[in-house]
Amino acid sequence: MATTTHAPPSGAGTSRAGTARRVSSLVIAVAVLVLAVFASIVFGSRTTSFGDVLHALSGTADPNVTTIVESRYPRTALGLLAGLCLAVAGTLMQGVTRNPLADPGLLGINAGASASIVAATAFLGATGSTETMWWALPGALIAGLLVHAIGSAGSGSGLVRLVLAGAVLSAVLMAFIQAVTLSRPKVFDSYRYWVVGALGGRDFDVFWSVLPFAVAGLVIAAVLGPGLNTLALGDSTAASLGARPALVRAGGLLSATLLSAAATAAVGPIAFVGLAVPHVVRALVGVDFRMQILFSALVGPALLLLADVVGRVVMRPQELMVGVVTAFIGAPALLVAVRRMRGNS
Amino acid sequence: MTSRQTAIRTASPRGFLRVGRSVALPVRRVSVLTALVLFVLLLAGAVATLSLGRLGIPLSELAGAVTGGAEGKNGFVIERLRGPRLVVAVGTGAALGLSGALFQSVTRNPLGSPDVIGLASGAGAGAAISALLFPDTVPVALGALIGAVLAMVLVYVSTGTGFRNPARLVIAGIGIAAMGTAITQYVVYAMERDRAAVLTAYVNGSLSARSWEDATTIWLVLLVVAPLTVLLSRRLDIGEMGDDIAAALGSQPRRTKTAAVVLAIVLSAGAVSVAGPIAFIALTSPQVAKRITRVPGPHLALSALTGALLLVLADLCAQQLPLFDNLPVGIYTMAIGGVYLGCLLVREWRRGVL
Repeated sequence: MATTTHAPPSGAGTSRAGTARRVSSLVIAVAVLVLAVFASIVFGSRTTSFGDVLHALSGTADPNVTTIVESRYPRTALGLLAGLCLAVAGTLMQGVTRNPLADPGLLGINAGASASIVAATAFLGATGSTETMWWALPGALIAGLLVHAIGSAGSGSGLVRLVLAGAVLSAVLMAFIQAVTLSRPKVFDSYRYWVVGALGGRDFDVFWSVLPFAVAGLVIAAVLGPGLNTLALGDSTAASLGARPALVRAGGLLSATLLSAAATAAVGPIAFVGLAVPHVVRALVGVDFRMQILFSALVGPALLLLADVVGRVVMRPQELMVGVVTAFIGAPALLVAVRRMRGNS
Repeated sequence: MTSRQTAIRTASPRGFLRVGRSVALPVRRVSVLTALVLFVLLLAGAVATLSLGRLGIPLSELAGAVTGGAEGKNGFVIERLRGPRLVVAVGTGAALGLSGALFQSVTRNPLGSPDVIGLASGAGAGAAISALLFPDTVPVALGALIGAVLAMVLVYVSTGTGFRNPARLVIAGIGIAAMGTAITQYVVYAMERDRAAVLTAYVNGSLSARSWEDATTIWLVLLVVAPLTVLLSRRLDIGEMGDDIAAALGSQPRRTKTAAVVLAIVLSAGAVSVAGPIAFIALTSPQVAKRITRVPGPHLALSALTGALLLVLADLCAQQLPLFDNLPVGIYTMAIGGVYLGCLLVREWRRGVL
């Protein structure tokens, strides 16, 4: 897990080679994203050809085909939004905690959002995506703060601490969720469709109702970029450079919470996207957080959409939900990272 | 508090429990006292389990009912309803406690417990797959067993250092657990609701509707494995001083550890096969035992007793608390054990360990 410290210095921002590399990375990232969006519209449990989709897009296709293709728009939009939210949230969390294992799933934030959504549905009768979204926020925030409080107890720090704190909190919240859902069959029914993390079966309403929160989180993230760069130098150096570490950290946590809550409310708790994407991005563009956030916003949606496409075709005619696919992509990545871990940290 | 401290001081020198001329087990008086107290508490828990609630057997009739003179409603309660459930709870708790003690002694870390490193998720995934793909041919318990063992093997292989490095162990465990949970969630999604609910209850670890067959299974496992752990306990004791010293004292630390891990996995798998993956009993029992007695060593017998006590008490909650109806006991242990683990971590981190 040496990526943070050993990321190749990307040279001074002005050097020509560095700029060229960034521009080419940017072009590739955008191209991959466009490809992923297109793949998400083309592939599905019903086969449609490349030509079908082009006809549907230009409005000259058979109505049946048009319906099929159009049914894939909302899930593509949701995939874009959720992937973007999760990846940027992961980048922010890894920057704020300076911990390359930080991820909204591993750190219990998704579990907090889930628990509060389940509680609201079961006890307060909350329905509809907007209401759910509002309830996801406090849960995610409290979970984030708790994990931070548990994980930073005592002196010294280890990479594993926050993850462990997140796992403990997730376990307790999971017990609560199971207790509520198992004693209420109706809640159980909607919960099991949502918790698995699926993009399909949702309409544009969901997209519109979480969009404002995602935008708010993104705006904060964009503002914080330079501050995170300073924070990476360590608290005391950052303070002496005129940055305010506490403020940057609070802003980062707030933004990450908004983004993960939005993603969780929209498509269910999905782990590992927030963990994996920042590592890929750091390898591409180096340590500059402004670049990292920009690239996360491109790579994250691409990854999630491609995972969704894999899930749609791998078990045709049945579908594997995107949450399952990301677990099977992300967990092995985590295991590889474990093998590269040195010492006890 | 003061009386216990003096007790420890006076009791610290060991006595020996001798059987014939060849067996001499070192025994501390404080451990024996603790064991007695735990046993009494366990009895009290058992009595409460049998006698509380709507169908409970009144205390005055309990002695007669247990010794075989039960008829009618009491007979049904003791022979079908709560009797087997209690016996399974005691056996499963003891197996889990013992398994946790072995694991923690080998990893020399409370986090090196099967329930922290993904055994439960593996068992859940195994159960889910067998329920979805082979509903009639493979019993769910067998699926859980295979899943549990497979998860442990995967964790062992993927750390690259076996069970030695606790940080790697925890992270690898979380990775394996994530995949197991994803499988379980998919299956719960894909099944129809009633079967999904049954599966969810099982995957959380449940003791409801256990039969005498389950009781036989878990007690057989215990009877086979427990004597073997007694043979190991001396070497494990030495092993806690570190591999080098253990090797210098001639106790073959590698072989001891392998044997201990194998026995621990057998115990956990046995527990999983009768009750599903019950969370955190294996983690907490050795820790509680260690904190009560405050003496070093793996505390095998005490951990087993503590595990049995904890599970019986948790199951008592599951049966009698009016909060939720018929929740699987694993949900209670997960909630309470999770909070306990959180406190434990904060304490150890404050002290600068881990």
